[in-house]
Amino acid sequence: MVKAVKRLTWLICTFAMALVLIKPMSVNAEEERSAVYVQVPGDWEAPCVWAWDEDGNNAFEAWPGGETEADADNEGWYYIWIPSWADHVIVNANEGSVQTGELVLEGGNAWITVEDAENAAVSYEALTKGDIPEYVEKFEIHVDVPDSWEAPCLWAWSAPDGTNAFAAWPGEAFKQGEDGWYTGKAPVWVNSVIVNANEGSVQTEDIAIDPAELWITVEEDGSFEFSYDDPNAVSAPDIHVNVQAPADWETPCLWAWSAPDGTNAFAAWPGEPFAAGEEGWLTLSVPGWINSVIVSGNEGSVQTTDISVETGKDIWLVVTGPEAYEVFYEKPADTAAVSNKEAASDTEAADAGESAEQTEAVDVDAAADAQTAEAGISTGTIVLIVVVCVAVIALAAYFILKKKKA
Amino acid sequence: MKKIITLLLWITVLSGLLCGCGAQGPSLTEEEKNTIVIWHDKEEAVSGALLEELKALVPDVTVQMEYKSNLTEALKMVGNDPKAAPDMYFFAHDKIGVYAEMGILAPITGLIDRQTLDAAYVPMTLDAAVYKGEVYQLPVYFETLLFMYNRRYMADEDVPDTTEKLYAYMEEKTRGGHYGFVEQHSTAYYSAGWIHGFGGCILDENGQAGLSLPETIAALEYHRKFVELMPGESEYATVNTLFQEGKAHATIGGPWLVSAARASGMDLGIAAMPVIDETQIPISPYMGVQGVQVLKYAAENKTEAVRKVLQALMQPSVGVALAKVSGCAPAVEACYEEEEVISDDVVMAMRATAENTIPMPNRPEMDIMWTVAADLLVNINMSGLDVTESCNAAQQNAEELIKKMQ
Repeated sequence: MVKAVKRLTWLICTFAMALVLIKPMSVNAEEERSAVYVQVPGDWEAPCVWAWDEDGNNAFEAWPGGETEADADNEGWYYIWIPSWADHVIVNANEGSVQTGELVLEGGNAWITVEDAENAAVSYEALTKGDIPEYVEKFEIHVDVPDSWEAPCLWAWSAPDGTNAFAAWPGEAFKQGEDGWYTGKAPVWVNSVIVNANEGSVQTEDIAIDPAELWITVEEDGSFEFSYDDPNAVSAPDIHVNVQAPADWETPCLWAWSAPDGTNAFAAWPGEPFAAGEEGWLTLSVPGWINSVIVSGNEGSVQTTDISVETGKDIWLVVTGPEAYEVFYEKPADTAAVSNKEAASDTEAADAGESAEQTEAVDVDAAADAQTAEAGISTGTIVLIVVVCVAVIALAAYFILKKKKA
Repeated sequence: MKKIITLLLWITVLSGLLCGCGAQGPSLTEEEKNTIVIWHDKEEAVSGALLEELKALVPDVTVQMEYKSNLTEALKMVGNDPKAAPDMYFFAHDKIGVYAEMGILAPITGLIDRQTLDAAYVPMTLDAAVYKGEVYQLPVYFETLLFMYNRRYMADEDVPDTTEKLYAYMEEKTRGGHYGFVEQHSTAYYSAGWIHGFGGCILDENGQAGLSLPETIAALEYHRKFVELMPGESEYATVNTLFQEGKAHATIGGPWLVSAARASGMDLGIAAMPVIDETQIPISPYMGVQGVQVLKYAAENKTEAVRKVLQALMQPSVGVALAKVSGCAPAVEACYEEEEVISDDVVMAMRATAENTIPMPNRPEMDIMWTVAADLLVNINMSGLDVTESCNAAQQNAEELIKKMQ
């Protein structure tokens, strides 16, 4: 009866919670931020703020730091939101070629008036009029456009409600970098963009995107391709994976991928079979960007664990069992010697994550030893009993013989 | 005289034999009787919180929490040895069958009566603790997988409530290196939710493998099209990193993912599992119940201390403390009257989702099924083998292995 009541209560509670779940729940974590306003000399263009804390944590990835934005309501003033923990700043401009000294902030919003590189004053009393524009997180959009597309601009909005990120078409001008690509920024609430140029006379179609850094390549006719991975990232040349596998692993294959993004080098498990290489090694060429491999045999029915390897380096891998292997980045001088010592170094070859298991194995061994030790005590007891028994038997035999003689 | 000697002889031999074969239980001192060793494999935050609670609730018992990374194997080796084994262990319910069959566990009902348990616990947690009619675990908290999404990409109103809507979303959003949805598609624990949603199973309540059931085959066939829109590699690190780094819009993950997502500043949403269109059943993942199991020797020789610890673990303050550090849902019903629990979105979402979960089988056969099912999923999802043939072959393999085990 009690159980039935409990089940009913549980059902009611769950139903109530299910109703709550109809409106999905929010688990939000937002960083506290402070506004930093700067007023700079007339020849200080595109002012930036570099910010950090006493422990050396930087608020921005690289110098010259975060780019400020002009406050339309306060001419000559630029603003930026920085994490509240970043209480040390340097104001700089002209791509970091001019800068103030280190300024220590007391916390809260700050107004910095820069007279020149040597003189800057910090105020915690507002020196601007009106409200500070709200903090809006932004992401970068990089575009590669044909030469005929001059002064490319970014138009961005949120679909389907149609809220625009910029005041008027053709939107915000991209800035060209040294590599020829243009870069612009949009608030993270947009999900649609158009790249246009020549004062908006040429353009792409609407591009539905995720609000995350992306690279768009535009062709002359306005067609495009995009990727959230940097296409300019240096691609590593192919590497060779050389393997010695156990003799009973038929047709050893290589499975290789890049962790943690999960990009596979081969289409389907178990991957590609190795070809015969030199001096008894099996070998296979794979893209240099892989950092994880598995060697398998017998059509994938036996395999190693995941083996982490260094990117871009040729590998010599001596496999002696599913969890026993050694990785070399130079061809081992004496393969036979390698094979001979493999049993001894199996555990060393395993990745760091296995060290705990090794410890555990030692633990279990110790426990087993304890068991054995205990078994030893029992054996000792039995030996003692046997000795006593033999003594008693001998005594009995003595008495019997004595009686018979008598 | 001869008879007397013969009698003495037999008494000596029998005594020796009895001494050698009997239980090794050394008589315990009062201090030893009041010392309880609990093995666990939990993170420091969980074990620390548990220890702190026990110290406060049972100050007259010395509780020692000992971390064992390979707890299950260690128990198999030393579970019968009172000197090496712990008095209790804190672990998921799914290994109960293994240790009950080994004869090293004591039913909890020998220490806390069943009516008290029924009145205190969320029913499904107690159901999970039953093996062959006996309650072998005192539940502490339970955990299950949740549907999580990144609000930057997926608006609340866009959260798919059916699997076909999820598929359409994945088709639209998976491009440029971003994914609409990712999961550990080739891991049995994650795949089970889809299998249950079709009415299939990996192992049924009678210990029979369910891999060749038409429902299981239909589930894996249906799931394949989703896998095609996910990264080839789907191990834990890949999937979690993709989600946390904003390269995947949504995922199915455990509560352990929540704190990392929160730390990354993600606006994390949690929603109910999508309903499978064909069956009108939601994706129904396994539920794991973490709790305390008592070893037989401790139950018999440290009865009072063990009982005190168990009674302490039934206090709502323990469930609340552990829910706070683990993000899991307490098993004690009274915890849901505590503000700290009610106000925790993740815990309450888990409680609601748990209605559609299946307790992980606690039978020994499941040890075999994890491996066989994992191989099956690799064959289907990564090697592209025929689903029906693969399922039939896996079923046959499972049946053979289970037969050997028995």
